[in-house]
Amino acid sequence: MLLALRLFIYLIVIIMLLPIMMSLPMALTAGSYVTFPPDGLSLKWFIRMSQDLILMETIGRSVVLALFAALLGVILSVPTAFAIERGRLAGRTAIETLITSPRMIPQIVLVLALLIFYEFIGLAETFTGLVIAHLLITVPLSFRTLHVGISSLDRRLEWSSAILGASTARTFHKIIVPHLKTFLIAAFTFAFIISFNNVTMALFLSAIGERTLPVEMFNRMYVGGMTPVLLAIAFVLAVVGAVTFIVLDRTIGVLKYLSGHN
Amino acid sequence: MRARMSDLSPAIDRAATPTQELRARPTQWGALVAPMLVLVFIFFVIPILYLLRMSFAEQAFAKSVVPIFGVYSLENFAEIFGDIFFLDMIVNSLIVGTGTVVATLLISYPIAYYLTLTRGWERTLILVACLLPLFVNIIVAVLGWYILLLPFGVIQNMLSALGLIDGPLGALKSFWALITVLTYEHIPFAVLILAASLQNISPDKINMARVLGSGVYRTFLTIVLPLTMPGVVATVILVFALSISSYLVPALITGQQVMVLPIAIFSYTSYLLNWTLAAAISLILLVIVAGITFGLTILANRLTRRGEWEIV
Repeated sequence: MLLALRLFIYLIVIIMLLPIMMSLPMALTAGSYVTFPPDGLSLKWFIRMSQDLILMETIGRSVVLALFAALLGVILSVPTAFAIERGRLAGRTAIETLITSPRMIPQIVLVLALLIFYEFIGLAETFTGLVIAHLLITVPLSFRTLHVGISSLDRRLEWSSAILGASTARTFHKIIVPHLKTFLIAAFTFAFIISFNNVTMALFLSAIGERTLPVEMFNRMYVGGMTPVLLAIAFVLAVVGAVTFIVLDRTIGVLKYLSGHN
Repeated sequence: MRARMSDLSPAIDRAATPTQELRARPTQWGALVAPMLVLVFIFFVIPILYLLRMSFAEQAFAKSVVPIFGVYSLENFAEIFGDIFFLDMIVNSLIVGTGTVVATLLISYPIAYYLTLTRGWERTLILVACLLPLFVNIIVAVLGWYILLLPFGVIQNMLSALGLIDGPLGALKSFWALITVLTYEHIPFAVLILAASLQNISPDKINMARVLGSGVYRTFLTIVLPLTMPGVVATVILVFALSISSYLVPALITGQQVMVLPIAIFSYTSYLLNWTLAAAISLILLVIVAGITFGLTILANRLTRRGEWEIV
């Protein structure tokens, strides 16, 4: 019985990894089409990919977008989480629910609501609008991560610092920030990953000439321009994802942060 | 502590003592929360309320500004519920959601259970395989599945070589392909929730049952399963909500072959430019998700109580 379970688990392990690894052998083809088994081996599609200016531009845009969304998310979340944890605010639970609710409702509903709203206030097809949309879906995560972090702070350290004459700013800089460091990194990184990987938001909200990388890939797949270039970029993304995973796991520990959030 | 602190050197007076903190609180804390609340209010609450208003507008508005206090009409809903095309779509969405939930649970529960039994490299391997998809853009995996399922693609060639099938495999564009890829996408979330839930069971309870002569199966059915029911329900809610509102996977895997609600929302928004109808379909999707969430949460509370009953 245990053997049967074990075999089943290994089968699932293979199935989980296969679609992600699939892009490499296919991208290494020397032919001009996506075929299996690949038609000879060459790196020509990886070279084509690096020469594909539209693709490179969308990568840059996606990175900038994710940086903005993650950074603003952390900047907004730190004071909010502090106030929720420390201040005895009326309606704390209501505020928490409100902040996390953009992740509770279907993303396609949220993005349609934003699209209609943006059309009226003039943010439609702007980068600012996209940053705000990404901020809405990343903030619940950075907020919760930082909330956990702040509630785990030892307040006696802050009091000691105050007693020894440190100003509030100095206490924040010397005591709070170092203790929150891993939580700040986790909040920023996970927000960055969510934003970088999000397709739905940009699909509705980005202007035609200003697509993000996932939307560009979506369009090439959907409209049918499926060349091995697409597989090459997919493989690059798979490698970047795997490296991020390993680095995060070795530094701050992945499981601790992930299990709390869903 | 406060009394002693005020007796100390002047340096302390400059510092924020707990007393001073308390006095400064109400407005200060409010100011700290304000930016976040303003963001969520303007860009979440208002747009969602306006979307609701729009779903009750007359279709003649299509894409123009609907006055908030103008005419309210059920035109959109009459069109949706009077058309077999839309009813089919709602049923399709429900089937896809349910199918994905069942498949995800059947695969993820054994994985989560096995994770409690194993250590070392095997555990790491399973965790890496199950969590890696969370770090890689979903498009990469969908592209992988696309290639695997393609006519004359990998799976077809393998099955043909084994002599299991003859002729083209009609997998891509089918219902099954959609459920397969959605299940794949949601296994990581399910494994995380279920593993957390299984790890919370105290080993004492299991050992107790074993000592009292209960076999592995009986222990599982009477102890482990009831205690993890809250986790199972949380998984069901999350996976159902995520899979019935997924646009990306249906769009790329099945296209127009299997019509589901998000596909319709996108078409009415982008090509057909009938925003009031798109808003009404969104509201239906929202109601389905909210209904499942609340219904199952109530059920979960009952199951938890029942689980405790059985243990005692």
